[in-house]
Amino acid sequence: MDLSRRGFLQAAALTAAASGLTVACGGGSGSTGSKNGKNLTLWYWGGALSDKVVAEAKTHFSGQVKLTAASIGGDFKQKLTTTLAAGASVPDITGIKGEDMASFLPNANRFLDLNDLGFEKLAPQYLDWKTKLARTEDGRQIGFPIDIGPTALFYRADMFDKAGLPTDPDKVAARAGTWEEYFALGTELRAKVPGTYLVNNIGSVFTMAVGQGTERFIDRDNHFIGDQDHIRKAWTTAVRPYTLGIDAKINDNTWNAAVGKTLSTELGAAWHALDIEQAAPKTKGKWRVCAMPGGPANQGGSYLALPKQCRNPEEAFKIISWILSPENDARGFADAAIFPAAPAAYAMPAMTGGDPFFGGQKVIEVFGPAAKAIPAAYEAPADAAVMAPFMTELSSIEAKGKKPDAAWKDAVAQARQIARRQGVN
Amino acid sequence: MLSHWRQYLAISPFFLIFGVFSLFPVFYSLYLAFQRWDGMGTVQFVGLDQFRFLLDDPVFWLSIRNTLVIWVLSTVPTLFGALVLATLLHSVRRFKGFYRIALYIPNVTSIVAVSIFFGAVFSNNFGLVNAILGTVGISPVPWLSNPWLIKLVIALLMTWMWTGYNMIIYLAGLQAIPTQIYEAARLDGAGPIRTFFQITMPIMRPIILFTVIISTINGLQSFSEPQVLFGSNAANPNLGGPGQAGLTTLLYFYQSAFVNNDYGYGAAIVWAFFVLIMVLVVVNWRVVQRGRKS
Repeated sequence: MDLSRRGFLQAAALTAAASGLTVACGGGSGSTGSKNGKNLTLWYWGGALSDKVVAEAKTHFSGQVKLTAASIGGDFKQKLTTTLAAGASVPDITGIKGEDMASFLPNANRFLDLNDLGFEKLAPQYLDWKTKLARTEDGRQIGFPIDIGPTALFYRADMFDKAGLPTDPDKVAARAGTWEEYFALGTELRAKVPGTYLVNNIGSVFTMAVGQGTERFIDRDNHFIGDQDHIRKAWTTAVRPYTLGIDAKINDNTWNAAVGKTLSTELGAAWHALDIEQAAPKTKGKWRVCAMPGGPANQGGSYLALPKQCRNPEEAFKIISWILSPENDARGFADAAIFPAAPAAYAMPAMTGGDPFFGGQKVIEVFGPAAKAIPAAYEAPADAAVMAPFMTELSSIEAKGKKPDAAWKDAVAQARQIARRQGVN
Repeated sequence: MLSHWRQYLAISPFFLIFGVFSLFPVFYSLYLAFQRWDGMGTVQFVGLDQFRFLLDDPVFWLSIRNTLVIWVLSTVPTLFGALVLATLLHSVRRFKGFYRIALYIPNVTSIVAVSIFFGAVFSNNFGLVNAILGTVGISPVPWLSNPWLIKLVIALLMTWMWTGYNMIIYLAGLQAIPTQIYEAARLDGAGPIRTFFQITMPIMRPIILFTVIISTINGLQSFSEPQVLFGSNAANPNLGGPGQAGLTTLLYFYQSAFVNNDYGYGAAIVWAFFVLIMVLVVVNWRVVQRGRKS
């Protein structure tokens, strides 16, 4: 059957439209732009930056460039990796999550070296250990620190009171200085206030305990060290609350429901305060924060980076150093609980006020010193992947009652295998 | 052939788009299965290494077992339930349209929304199911932490989603059976059960086989259900639930490639999985052939 002319024209038009669509989807090349472009795009995710500061940055720099900020949802790292690999539609400025930074460092050549743009002069304003985590071995700085996640112990003062335990942050910190003391306190709490648990799951304890050390799962020489004493110690610490019966074993999405009711303490980073506040608004005023047993660790905290395709590096660097200046950082804490990587901000009024959710406690007095005392540990690109089996095996202990020793053996065997697969020797 | 160029041109968009977005990725993934690649850096040829890792990777085999168990647990009740519902619906006289829509709706509901809903309903500590069990004095059941119950919940979710879909197909098949056959059977003194097994089932056989194949494909591809059920965030990457009991092969592929940035290994996983699906397809095909001969 032959096509009528009209049918053919329609088909042809559709074809043209379809191919046009394909081109439009793949188009908008960022790499061909000149190096003093007037339009800059900024990618971040909800909560990475203070929306107010970003909005102000747009007007502040409107004379020089037009800044378009896009809040990217979903799997941010995945979207960024794909875009960078494709080399088209690359944002001029992008956020990078702290936990993803290690996996971006081997491809540092995809980003501009911020030291070339003058970061070295600004660097002393920011915490050294944080800055270092976004620097390659040969000294290329690819990330500008946004925030950090100093950890602390959140606890329900009202439940502590009920159990006859001290409620004052300093006294609680003194009573729970080490992990063993903290667990002992939890056992006492559970005996006096039945139905409350100390930790939500033992994986969270493991994460914290590993973060307190100066070594992780892979060392600088690319050797697997996940079977050594420092990890074994963190593992033993993690298993303790399980054997003591003070582990709530929450491995599904019901943490939200538990936090207002059966969880009397939480281990978490500064930004975790917002999670607790949103999950359990009715417990306002009942929580307090104190130093974490065994010392502080870092959890989360992000960076801004300039991809190689950035259309106006000079102006882009000005924008990020403005957005992340200590003054604006301090506002980010007030707006969105983003804990600044610039210690100068800790003394600013925006951060030194009392937090009504914590009964008016000045939480900076806990997080500030913690931020400065965080141990620096080398994080290899495969670190997160190698850590995963330990978390899985810990959840197996909770879910299936697997024997901790057997779980440890399986975790190490699997971690070693993943390490080998990822080129670690 | 050239004289039909206009027709070929007219159907070309599909093939162009299929080529770019489906065919090319398929072969590219086969190429990747022999490389090590982190998604951005240089691609490094490693030969059969990825497959060698695969062979002695307990997690891979665990994921295959999980997938197969979830597949069986969901496909059997889905198809059986669909057939029963279709037979019931076929004999219903009033509100036919309403029942059809009501039973089909689960299939068009967003799988993410359904998974979140199931996660809340079956939650260990604060779920609706455990709350109801609690009122009759049954202690909470660890739905989302016991390895078998995790699979059961995922299978239940899939059953809920796909029963209506298969029911519509069966219903179409039932309506195509001439009523004379049933009348003849009735005259010969056959009861409803005997009619069902000796008339309905044999005539429906090709349709049932079709749904079995479709369910095999759908069931083996389970991914979103465990992905959403054991939600992922930065501090807690989704590893398929406690003890990885809900880790399906596709979820493991996703973890390896996109979370661990190990694209080569991810490609090896899906290609090995492809071989497994091919085996199952051959088994299906054999069953079809035997049905035709007899």
